[in-house]
Amino acid sequence: MRDRLEISMQANHGLFAALVTAGLIFGAVASATGDVFYLRLATEALILGGLALSVDILLGFTGLLSLGQALYFGIGAYVSALVLRAAPDFWLAIGAATGAALVAGIVGGLIANRVRGVYFALITFGMAQIVARVVYNTRELGASDGLIGVPVLEIPLGPVSFSADDPLGFFLLTFVIIGLLYGAVAYLLSTPFGRVIVALKANESRVPYLGYSAWAARMAAYVVAALVAGIAGALYPMLRGFVSPELMFFASSGNALIMVVVGGVGTLVGALYGAVVLTVLKSVIGSLTEHHLIVVGGIFIAAILFMPKGLMGLVRPAMMRWLLARAEARAPRSGAVRRTTQ
Amino acid sequence: MPHVTDYLQFVLAPQMLNGLALGVSVILVALGLTIIFGLLDVINMSHGEYYAIGAFGALALALAGVNYWLLIVLVPVLMVPLGVLVERFLIRRVYHGADRHVSTLLLTFGLALIFEDLLKIIFGPNTHRPENPIRGATEVLGVLIPTYRLFLIAIGAAVIVAVALVVYRTRLGAMVRAAAYDSNMAASLGVRIGWVYSGAFAFGVALAGLAGVLLAPVYSVFPTMGRDFILMAFTVVIVGGMGSIWGVVIAGIALTQVQAIASLIISPVWADPIVFGVMVLVLMFRPQGLFGRLGHA
Amino acid sequence: MTDVLSLDGLSIAFGGLRAVDDVSFAVRERAVTTVIGPNGAGKTTLFNLISGALKPQAGRVTLSGRDVTGLSSAAMHRAGLARSFQITNLFSEMTVRENLRLAAQVLEPVSHALRPLRRRGRAADKVEALIDRFSLDAKVHEPAGALSHGEQRRLEIAMCLASEPQILMLDEPTQGMSHADTADTGQLIRDLAREVTILLIEHDIGLVMELSDHVVVMHQGRKLAEGGPAAIRADPQVQAAYFGQG
Repeated sequence: MRDRLEISMQANHGLFAALVTAGLIFGAVASATGDVFYLRLATEALILGGLALSVDILLGFTGLLSLGQALYFGIGAYVSALVLRAAPDFWLAIGAATGAALVAGIVGGLIANRVRGVYFALITFGMAQIVARVVYNTRELGASDGLIGVPVLEIPLGPVSFSADDPLGFFLLTFVIIGLLYGAVAYLLSTPFGRVIVALKANESRVPYLGYSAWAARMAAYVVAALVAGIAGALYPMLRGFVSPELMFFASSGNALIMVVVGGVGTLVGALYGAVVLTVLKSVIGSLTEHHLIVVGGIFIAAILFMPKGLMGLVRPAMMRWLLARAEARAPRSGAVRRTTQ
Repeated sequence: MPHVTDYLQFVLAPQMLNGLALGVSVILVALGLTIIFGLLDVINMSHGEYYAIGAFGALALALAGVNYWLLIVLVPVLMVPLGVLVERFLIRRVYHGADRHVSTLLLTFGLALIFEDLLKIIFGPNTHRPENPIRGATEVLGVLIPTYRLFLIAIGAAVIVAVALVVYRTRLGAMVRAAAYDSNMAASLGVRIGWVYSGAFAFGVALAGLAGVLLAPVYSVFPTMGRDFILMAFTVVIVGGMGSIWGVVIAGIALTQVQAIASLIISPVWADPIVFGVMVLVLMFRPQGLFGRLGHA
Repeated sequence: MTDVLSLDGLSIAFGGLRAVDDVSFAVRERAVTTVIGPNGAGKTTLFNLISGALKPQAGRVTLSGRDVTGLSSAAMHRAGLARSFQITNLFSEMTVRENLRLAAQVLEPVSHALRPLRRRGRAADKVEALIDRFSLDAKVHEPAGALSHGEQRRLEIAMCLASEPQILMLDEPTQGMSHADTADTGQLIRDLAREVTILLIEHDIGLVMELSDHVVVMHQGRKLAEGGPAAIRADPQVQAAYFGQG
C-alpha cells in the first residue's frame, strides 16, 4: 500500500512524462521547420523553470517563502560566465557554479534560518538585494552592464560534441539537466530525509520530537534549493551569451514565484509548467504590446484567488484518484503489505 | 580648524537636511506599511505603487488645473476608496486561508505588477518632473536650502505627529490597537473589525499617496518609482519593528541619515547596500525590530 | 527495579516566577509514574524541562544512567524519550500512515536516510503493527486532522511508541475525552506499562489512583509529596493543597 505522498509524487512523474513527450514533439517539429526562436525560448523557459523548481522546494515542501531565490540563480550564472570567459569548458562551468551555489547556500542558510515566517521572506529579500547591488556596483563584474561576450561553447558529451549555439542540441541538453534536477529533488523528497522536510511544512514544532533537528532539516532544504537554482543559473550564460545584475533582482525572484503559483505549489512539475506557460505568454504578449505585466499580474492574482492549486490542480486530483484506485486494486486491504512480502 | 567647520556647515549639514526630507517621506510610506502589518498581518508588497499612484494622481490633477495645496488633501482622500476596494475584494478573500502571510504577500505582489503597468499605460514610461510649488531657497545656518524641502520636513513631521496622536490618544486609535492586540476580543467588545481593517488599510494607502504628492516636486515621477522607494520603506519598518509606529519614526530618520552620510563619505552607490545590510543584521539578531509591535507595546 | 529516569534538583524561573523549583524524583522501570497538581503547578513546564524543550537553569536529568541535562528535544528523543502534548500536536495534513511512518523512521539506521522509503524492515513493520494495535485500519489514508479527537489522541500515543522509546511521557492523554474514551485510554496505558516505562500528567484523579504505581504531587513549582497512590491520598498536606481545594 502506498502513502498519499507517494501517490502524489507519482502523479507529478506522470505530468513530467507528459512534459517530456511534449518537449520531444516540439523539438522534432521545431528542428524540422528550422525554427530557432521558439527553441531558444523553450530553453530559456526550462532554465527559468529550474529557478522556479528551487522556489517550490522551499515554498511547496519546506513551507518557507523565499523572496530572494534569484540570488543563487544569479550566482550560478555569474560564476558560469566568469569560468566560460576564462576557460570555455562546460563541466568546469557547471562544477564551479555548483560549488559557488553550495557555499552561498550554506552562508545564506545560516543567515536566513535564524528566523521564520515573514521574517524569513524579508531576510531572503534583503540578502538578494544586497548582493545584487554589490554586483551592480562592482566594475570587475561588469557593474550595471553585466558580463558580456561569453564565448559560444563546444559541449563534449561522450563521443558526440555539439555547440551551445545549436538550438536543438542545447534545448535537449537543458531538458536533460533540468529533468535530472527534477528527478533528484523528487527522489530526495521520497526518502526518509525528504519526509522530514515535508514534516517541517506540516508542523515544524513537532519535528524535534521525531528525533530530528528542525534547524538542520531546514538548512538542508535551503542548501538543496540553492544548488538547484545555481545549476539552472549556470546554463543561462551558455544560452544568452551574457549575464546581468537583473538576474538577481527581486523581479527575477518574483517571476519564479509567479511561475510556481500559476503552475501549482508543492508539485515540483508545476514549477516547470508554470515557467513554460509564463515565458511563452510573455513572449507572445510582448510581441503585441509592451504591457505584459498587467496580464501576468492578472493571471497571478486569478490563480491565487480561484486556482490555489495552480494549473496542476486541474488534472492532479483526478490522476491521484486513479493512481490510488490502481494501487488499491493491487493490494486490496491496507494490511496487504505483509502478505505480499512473504 | 576652519576647513572642518566649513565641511560641517556647507557639506555635511545640507546633506543631513536632505536626508531628513527623504526620511520624513520614507516615514510617511513606512507608517502605512507598519499599520497594515501591525493590524492585518499583511506584508503589503503593493505599497510602493500607492505612493506612485499618489504622485501620478497629483501630476494629473495639477495638469487639470487643481491647486497644489488642494492636492495635498484631495489625493489622499481619493486614495481611500482604492484602499477600501483592495482590502474588501482582494485581501479579505485570502485573509482567512491557511497561510495568509504567504497568500496576502503574493496577492499584493500581483497587484503591484498590475498597478505599475497601468501607470505605464496611462502616463507612458517617461519620467515627469512636476512644477515646484514653492520656489526659491531659504538660508539656514548660512547655507541655502530649497524652501520646498523645509516645507516638506515641516508638513511631514506634522502628519507623523498627527498619526501618532490618532493611534495612541483617540478612541478610534484605541479600537485599532485593541483589534491589533486581539481581534476576537475586540470584536466581542463591539469593535467592527471588518471596518477597522478596511479603514486601516485605506489609511495606509492614503498616507502613501500623500507621500507621493509631497515628494513629486523633489524627485521625479515615473511608473516604477514605487519599487525603489518601497525597499527603503520596508527596511525602515523592519528595523523599527514591524507594526511599531515610534520604531518607524526613529528608524526612518536614523536610516536615511545613514544613507545620506554614507553617500557623502563612501559613495552614493554603496549607500543602499549598507542600509540593506543593517536590515539583514536586525532581522538576524532582533527580528521583532528595535521596538515592539502595535497593540503589543 | 532500576530507575529509567531520575531528576535531581531541576529548576527554572521565568522572570521572578519559579515555575519549577528544585524538583527531584525517580521514575522506575516498567512502572506508571504520574505527576499531579493543580493548574499552574508547573507540570507541563517540568515535562518541557525533561524532554529538552526548555533548558533547566539548575539540576540534572539522568536517562538510563546517562546525564542528558540540556540535550535538545531531538537528542532526547533519540536517547529514548518520547512525549505527547497536552494539545494534540500531529501532522494534520498528512495521513495517519504517513504520521506513523514519520515517527517510526528513526528506527532505521541513519545510512538509510537517503534511500527510498522501504516497504518492509523495522520501520514499516512497526507502522503496520501500530495500525493494528490502535485499530486505525479504517483510517490509514485519512489526514490526521480529519480524525475525531479521541482518534487523534490515540494516534499521538501510537506515534510516541513508534520510536520504541525507553520512557513514554504523556501529557494529559485523556484531555477532552468522553468518559468511555477515558476508560479505554486507561486500559491502553495499563497495557503499555507492561512494555514501556510511563511518566504521566493526568487530571482525572480516579484514573490516576487506579493506574499509577507512583504519584508525584506538585504545587507552585515544587514537589509537595511523592509515594504510592494510597499514601498520597492519605497525606494531609496533599489533601490541604490539592484535594482540599474543592
